Amino acid sequence: MRLGDWYDRNAFWIFPSASVVFIMGLMIFPLGYTIYNSFTDWSLTHGDQVNFVGLKNYIDIFLNDDRFWGAVGRTIYFTGLAMAVEVTLGVLIAVLFDARDFRGKRVARSIFLMAMMATPVAVAMVWMLIFEPTAGVLNYLVKASGLEAILREHAGIAKLLWITDSASVIPSLVLVDIWEWTPLISLIVIAGLATLSREPYESAMVDGATPFQIFFRITLPMIAPTIGVAALLRLVDCLKTFDIIYVMTMGGPGYSSETLNIYTYQMSFQYFNFGYASALLVVFFVFVLGVSLLVAHFRRGLEL
Amino acid sequence: MAKVELKNIEKTYEGDVRAVSAANVVIEDREFVVFVGPSGCGKSTTLRMIAGLEEITSGELWIDGELVNDIPPKDRNIAMVFQNYALYPHMTVYENMAFGLRIRKIANAEIDKRVQEAAKILSIQEYLHRKPRALSGGQRQRVAVGRAIVRNPKVFLFDEPLSNLDAKLRVQMRTEIAKLHNRLKATMIYVTHDQVEAMTMGDKIVVMKDGVIQQIGSPLLLYDHPCNHFVAGFIGSPPMNFLDGKLRRDGERLLAEGEGFSFVVADNHLEALLKAPHPEVVIGIRPEHMGIAAQDQIDNILSAHVTVIEELGAEAHMYMSRRADDMENLIARLEQRHGYRIGDNIRLSPDMERVRYFDAVSGEALLGVIGPIRMSSRRSALAQG
Amino acid sequence: MSADGYCEPKSTEISRFWRRLITNILYFGTIVVCVFFFLLPLLWMFLNALKTPLQIVELPPRIFNFTPTMENFENVFNSQNFLQYIYNSLIIAGGSSLLGLILGLPAAFSIAQYRQKKLAVFILISRMVPGITFLLPLFIMFRFFRMVDTYTSLILSHLLVGLPFIVWVMVPFFESIPKDLIDAARVDGCNIFSTFIRIILPISMPGVVTGGILSFIFSWNNFMFSIVLASNRTKTVPVAIFNFIAYAQIDWGGLMAAAVTITLPVLVITILTQKYVIRGLTAGAVKG
Repeated sequence: MRLGDWYDRNAFWIFPSASVVFIMGLMIFPLGYTIYNSFTDWSLTHGDQVNFVGLKNYIDIFLNDDRFWGAVGRTIYFTGLAMAVEVTLGVLIAVLFDARDFRGKRVARSIFLMAMMATPVAVAMVWMLIFEPTAGVLNYLVKASGLEAILREHAGIAKLLWITDSASVIPSLVLVDIWEWTPLISLIVIAGLATLSREPYESAMVDGATPFQIFFRITLPMIAPTIGVAALLRLVDCLKTFDIIYVMTMGGPGYSSETLNIYTYQMSFQYFNFGYASALLVVFFVFVLGVSLLVAHFRRGLEL
Repeated sequence: MAKVELKNIEKTYEGDVRAVSAANVVIEDREFVVFVGPSGCGKSTTLRMIAGLEEITSGELWIDGELVNDIPPKDRNIAMVFQNYALYPHMTVYENMAFGLRIRKIANAEIDKRVQEAAKILSIQEYLHRKPRALSGGQRQRVAVGRAIVRNPKVFLFDEPLSNLDAKLRVQMRTEIAKLHNRLKATMIYVTHDQVEAMTMGDKIVVMKDGVIQQIGSPLLLYDHPCNHFVAGFIGSPPMNFLDGKLRRDGERLLAEGEGFSFVVADNHLEALLKAPHPEVVIGIRPEHMGIAAQDQIDNILSAHVTVIEELGAEAHMYMSRRADDMENLIARLEQRHGYRIGDNIRLSPDMERVRYFDAVSGEALLGVIGPIRMSSRRSALAQG
Repeated sequence: MSADGYCEPKSTEISRFWRRLITNILYFGTIVVCVFFFLLPLLWMFLNALKTPLQIVELPPRIFNFTPTMENFENVFNSQNFLQYIYNSLIIAGGSSLLGLILGLPAAFSIAQYRQKKLAVFILISRMVPGITFLLPLFIMFRFFRMVDTYTSLILSHLLVGLPFIVWVMVPFFESIPKDLIDAARVDGCNIFSTFIRIILPISMPGVVTGGILSFIFSWNNFMFSIVLASNRTKTVPVAIFNFIAYAQIDWGGLMAAAVTITLPVLVITILTQKYVIRGLTAGAVKG
């Protein structure tokens, strides 16, 4: 009896304790350890001697590392392009879906879901086959539609190389990301639209508003917070995109699709340059967290 | 078997928000006590403190001769009926009722006996094996009551149990709970914001406002002798009429005068009103005491014009205003058929012997009252000059 | 306008018919295009898994005009220890989801019940932070304890994704449970633990299923943690297939068969539990 009372009074820390221990051990401690390592020159390829080098790694990163700055640029390029298309397309699809009821809606939604849930490694593989310059279906379509001839004539491009050309690799990867993640935005916005009250629409219709006015004056403002949260969730993941890029190009050709995540990965597990990689990780961590918090701050949407 | 005593009970939330202050109530065994007041008055908090769901900041709570401040709800031997029924959605009606007994490790045969008995009392035998979501609001409320009954508790607590039901069902359940009280002869504490519920159900009513108990008493005591302006306005439907006035001595008589009226204070009120602290008073007149003046009557006349008439059949409520913009609402309850129409000018004559007077500043009743009265300086302005 | 309109009721009716027809064509045309865009790559994966290597590179591409063959699947399962990898993936995904529920459900309940905002932020920040930030130190730690290539290290690392997700899904779920229900259980004689087990968990089953399924799928799909922390003994399917690229020297048929093998279970689960999956993915973003 008395033990039960003790539980009641102490549940507030007993309940989350296991999670807290786990997070302390596998997140906070490793993070601290990474910060510590970032001040050393530890490298597996240079033997086990570890020297404290102060801020040298950070100084190198910011002042002497062109590959880092390239990765920053590509991360922003990739994320910006992907986000712009995904949010626009995602909202449009959601609004189309919400506008009417039709048979096969469930099936269509299943298809959207499948794109998002399919294993990224498998997704990367099939897109590699699709992008294949000679045997891929995409270039076949380009040729069959007569686009290839137009391109050759006006742009002097003999053949679209997709992920094997440094100019087109990021847009191509973005296409895969769009395919994979636009449905997430759509699903969230559809769910948000479903929770909206019908009354403002009805009163707007009674007031004689046109469908366009209804969309821009009523639907969009009401759904804006949901879009914001969806975009934020997507942004956070988009900055960290790893699977499809690594599987399809490993950052190549050259470094032309090497984003921050890929670069830090290579530095960690290709070169085993733990000290320098740790400094990169700290920078990447702060970058992602900073962007997330900044966005969250601007549209204080992420309650909880 | 259970007397409940609240001694100087207080509840303060973080940031010094005082939800309940200095509540002193004695609830006798087998009594049906209703806590009533507008939302946010602290009545639910008080009930939840009795249940043990809220910690008591200071003061003492005694149930059946035992100090229970630090005893958790499960060991207080109370049962509670919640506003939203709080039925466990994953359990059948039977299991919902049996749950509290199972937790207490009571034998299955005994559980079955008690559940069947309670189901019979509430006539919900047919639904015992349904889930709550397959029940109507009224049925759910019965199950919630049944869950309390099977526990056979010392005290029943009801937290606005009828407010989610429609008007007709509410009236029906009201009588059923009253019958249940007669049958079980248990102590029941009932919280509501509806003064009609309070009046019809309570042996004793506790009126609260802003965390402070205003008055405790039987329904008729509260109706006839409200201790202050608030209680007078809160209890009674349609509500009491209030007129701002000023007391003035006129030879042997004491007059209560205001915009467009001059009432002669009745003899039975004279002594008390002479001791009034300020000449400014509020005159309270129940709608049923708002009579129609006789043709030749000169004293105690209030002139107004009719703005709305509500015909209820047995009686009529007539709304009137003394002002051209109709913004005032004076109400008279007429028990006979009448021939008035909207816009008619009317001469009212309050029953001066039954009028109540309140201090315009403190709101307190100036005639003798029963119940807790906040102490304030009762210096008589009139007596002095 | 009104006078003319009365003269020609028929023509307005016809134009309305056309207008509606065009709107319909535009509307459903767009929907169909969208659906096909999202369907085709997956369809392509399945079709090519059933083609011979030659048919795959043939132009114009064969769509349905070929005789399906199971050859690619046989190759995948014969040339690689594929069943072992599937077993590994099941153990790791199952283990990390189960552990995620065991740790996450009480934590989420506590956050909802006691309004522990700081704890919520603490756990949810880990949903934002790039996984690779933890991966390097974890790799170093696991290497130190000789735990690389063990189920434990993989389950623990996948938990970094699963636990925050489960908390993310469950907090709004628990918050939506009426407080009265918990109070009723307390008056009925429960302490907070029995309330959690006997009342809260049973009525939260939809949420638990959602969190569990999605955490399982995320772990099953996980590539980055596995490729670093798994080796021969504990290699998961995505890693195995990735290695297969080098091994098979662009055997497209084999790759597609492998891709189908790994994705099919996920797709089946997704379709069967569509309602839960959608609820999980939109949790926290949509109120109500």
